[in-house]
Amino acid sequence: MSAVERSLDGPRGRWIRLRVGLLAGLLGLGLGLVVSSASTLMLEDGARWRELAELQRQRRLHVAPKRGTVRDRNGSALAVTVEVPSVSLDAIELLRGVQPAQVPARARTAANDIGRALSLEPAAVEKKILQKRRFAWLKRRITAEEAEAIRQLGARQRGAERVAGLAVEGEGRRYHPRRELAAPLLGFVAPDGEGKEGVEHALDDDLRGHPDQLRGLRDRSGRLLLSEGVEDERALAGHDVHLSIDQGIQFVAERELASAARTFEAKAASVVVVVPRTGEVLAMASWPGYNPNDYGESDIEARRERAVSEAFEPGSSMKIFTVAAGLAAGVVTPTQKLFCEKGTMAVDNVVIRDTHPAGWLALTDVLAVSSNICSAKIGLALGGDKLYETLRRFGFGDRTGVAIPGEASGTLRPRGRPWVQVETASAAFGQGVSVTNLQLAMAAAAIANGGELMEPILVTKVVTATGELVREATPAVRRRVVPRHVAALVAEMIVAVTEGHGTGVEAAVNGFRVAGKTATAQKIDPATGRYSLDRYVASFVGFVPAERPAFAIAVMVDEPMIDHAGGAVAAPIFRRVAEACLEWSGMVPRGTAKADPAELARMPDPAHAAHAALREASGAAPAVQVVAPAVAGGGPRVPDMTGWSVREAVRRTLELGAVPRVRGSGLLARTEPAPGQPFERGASLVLVFEPPT
Amino acid sequence: MTAGDRIGLRGGPRVDMALLAAIVAITALGVANLYSAVSTYVTTKPALADSHISQIYWIGAGIAVGAGIAAVDYRGLERFAYAFWVGGIASLGIVLAFAPEVRGSRRWIPVGGFTFQPSEFMKVLVILALAKWLHEDPKTEPRTAVDLVPPLLLTAVPVAAVMAQPDLGTSLIYAVCAAAMLAMTRIHRWTVAAGAAVLAVSLPAAWTWLLRDYQRDRITSFLDPERFKKGEGWHAWQSRTAIGNGGLTGEGFLQGTQNQFGYLPDQFSDFPFAVFAEEWGLVGSVVLLGLYAFVCIWSIHVASQAKDRFGAAVSIGVGAMVFAHVVFNVGMAVGLLPVVGVTLPLFSYGGSSVLTMFAGFGLLMSVSMRR
Repeated sequence: MSAVERSLDGPRGRWIRLRVGLLAGLLGLGLGLVVSSASTLMLEDGARWRELAELQRQRRLHVAPKRGTVRDRNGSALAVTVEVPSVSLDAIELLRGVQPAQVPARARTAANDIGRALSLEPAAVEKKILQKRRFAWLKRRITAEEAEAIRQLGARQRGAERVAGLAVEGEGRRYHPRRELAAPLLGFVAPDGEGKEGVEHALDDDLRGHPDQLRGLRDRSGRLLLSEGVEDERALAGHDVHLSIDQGIQFVAERELASAARTFEAKAASVVVVVPRTGEVLAMASWPGYNPNDYGESDIEARRERAVSEAFEPGSSMKIFTVAAGLAAGVVTPTQKLFCEKGTMAVDNVVIRDTHPAGWLALTDVLAVSSNICSAKIGLALGGDKLYETLRRFGFGDRTGVAIPGEASGTLRPRGRPWVQVETASAAFGQGVSVTNLQLAMAAAAIANGGELMEPILVTKVVTATGELVREATPAVRRRVVPRHVAALVAEMIVAVTEGHGTGVEAAVNGFRVAGKTATAQKIDPATGRYSLDRYVASFVGFVPAERPAFAIAVMVDEPMIDHAGGAVAAPIFRRVAEACLEWSGMVPRGTAKADPAELARMPDPAHAAHAALREASGAAPAVQVVAPAVAGGGPRVPDMTGWSVREAVRRTLELGAVPRVRGSGLLARTEPAPGQPFERGASLVLVFEPPT
Repeated sequence: MTAGDRIGLRGGPRVDMALLAAIVAITALGVANLYSAVSTYVTTKPALADSHISQIYWIGAGIAVGAGIAAVDYRGLERFAYAFWVGGIASLGIVLAFAPEVRGSRRWIPVGGFTFQPSEFMKVLVILALAKWLHEDPKTEPRTAVDLVPPLLLTAVPVAAVMAQPDLGTSLIYAVCAAAMLAMTRIHRWTVAAGAAVLAVSLPAAWTWLLRDYQRDRITSFLDPERFKKGEGWHAWQSRTAIGNGGLTGEGFLQGTQNQFGYLPDQFSDFPFAVFAEEWGLVGSVVLLGLYAFVCIWSIHVASQAKDRFGAAVSIGVGAMVFAHVVFNVGMAVGLLPVVGVTLPLFSYGGSSVLTMFAGFGLLMSVSMRR
């Protein structure tokens, strides 16, 4: 036994035991505290810390998933997202390892370097650096030169100090390859990725994709290490939206609209083309338009799709539906003659007038000369409630539910109560009520479709980026409005409008029977509350061919100044759009000779050629080939364009209905096939240019 | 009472197998942990990629030093204890005078290709010097403040020299060792009370005048980690994240994600415990802390059976040194204490630290073998 141990028995031993106990107690206390803290961290608060760790590792990527593409019915892209690089800054990384005293100086030099590379104000960059955030955009949508300058700043070793923490990342930018084409219909995308206006807004959820799933495992310096759970980036991308729009018809509609609007100095205009049997919208044009690639420069008014967002007083075109209602209810018969009161008729204390005073008129002529008085008589014979109900059944006063934001419903009962006599009489010829151009087109399509109103289809299908179908629109009958024979009768009656002495002869298409109705509605002057004498809405609504309608077209021109008659302003637009539609569908004119293909090829109609080019570019067969399936030796031949400029040669090639393939630059040296060789319309013509020597 | 009582079959001192086993276990875990800490998926400091290999060399040197100390009778060291202390103080003086500044403090002196940290070795030298004083002090009645002047000087001089480097952690280790050893003696209750009062008054004074800015920042950030988690408290916050991420059973060896992806700073020196806790969880951490606790308790046990006061005091001193390192290091890793640069024995990377620990264990073994 040692001396110490031996003495453990006495009072001194107690002392030592006490000391040992004290030390052991302190030891236990210290370690116990440490262990309990560790267990708190790991068990009680463990979930929270693990979540923090997870967040830190999986810092969200700042690259949003690719937005879906909007395509037309043939698959041509109308709005696509392309990746444009942007520069971001990790200020913590930039200042890593810099002594606190050196930070301001380092921030200044780095800000100067970055400012020079990106043409930014160095003071603003310096401020961003000194905020010491892990992520901040420095400049979005940079050029290739700027991206290169940033890469050099991040890489350079000697000469100057390397600037750390800069990253060039791709960022989606919406691009409309056809520029103004269907711009108000499509809408645009704000820089934050949110769809604004049009289809971009209405289908934002489909197009946008799933940014919350796009994560990557990142280390402290923000480098992407592994991507977790995402094998195919396309799985996160937005869906593609296919529209029923045909870009060729849309193009013609817009061109004709713009041309007429300028000619007649109109304020605004719109055209809707619908397939009566299915309700598919082939074109929906609105003027004025804008370039969505540069939407910031455009007027907010120009961004609206007027065909759905603007309600107007339809005027005489309403008579089609009044007559249909009268025939369906049996208050008039097809052969009945009506007395048109020689131009004036009093209803209560209001006098109704006709522009073409008449006596007894057959029902067909009531429509052909557009008698307000006889329409009012039919309306009054029906009674206000019955007329109102039938017009509602035609779809007026209701939103169609088409995928465009800001749709107007139009108003049948502006005072929110049943019509009084005068209101019934004026509603029968389209006054005191308002409709949208799309409603008008759909209602005309219902007449064309044997009396059945269809649901308008704008979005035919939505597919994922990997090609799986999300949903598809199928033609749906909304309701039967009038019996089939009534629809057929009315269709036959309004053919007279475009024939002989009708008001709409300008709408007649050579070789086809056109059913339609002109309208020239006075606008209410907001200043006086009365009908204005110089502000009109000129419109034409109809369908073609009358006997088996393939296209229902509604044209509306707001406040034309040079002329205001629907027959003069809107009917020609109808005709040109109808011609484009018929050509597009390959319908052969009845009772007219087949167009000579050589003649067609020489026809210097840019729209014709442009349509073919657009169709060709979209990969679909050129429409014109349907009309002229084979071209024999007598067909078009390649002209000699040697020495022409690129612009001239391309224009000429398009005019010939061929698709130019440009090689080189300068002046035209040769073509393939060679000049004088025959070629088929829609075939490509190689234009080889060489610099002038 | 001679060494004969302890003679085994072959005669002579017998190796303390329990202590040896604990030390071997800690050393092995420490090397494995260091390997994991530096072989991360994201290499933050390429120069340290092979530091577990260097650590093994230092451990080899440490075992040689420890075995040498254990082999000789510790009582032979008693004679030179004060001389060693003076040598240690001289080396601290050299550090203050000549050592280059690294990250704001002067701690290391280069010797033949290596850099040594004399303040590490000084820990053992302070323990030896205080043990010698305790051994030689004849007084049996409670000691007054005047009686305690020599041991306090033996402690205060190295504390001051190290504080001047500045190195708060190491000076705290000296103080804890000295306090534990002096607790063996009888001290007048008024002296204890006065000492407590002086301590209470001097803490605010030390805060104001003694501590450097970065030391104060570390303590304020410790008091409000959420607020400072991006700046001064970043290290502590990341350490707690990694430990919390470990959970009950951990993510597995080499699988600690916070460490592997380079989020854990100073994982090889200040926060090896965070690496270990993330990989082995609470279960592994309790086992590791249990090993350290065993060494500490064992040192008290050895002290109670030591042949003389010198041996008992040395045992207590070594136990206190291990305890202080473990509690300070793990305490700062779990957020219980502010971040002071204290190593985790045989886990943190560093030659001086490894040599010092093995020297301490050698002393403990030497006393244990000659109970």
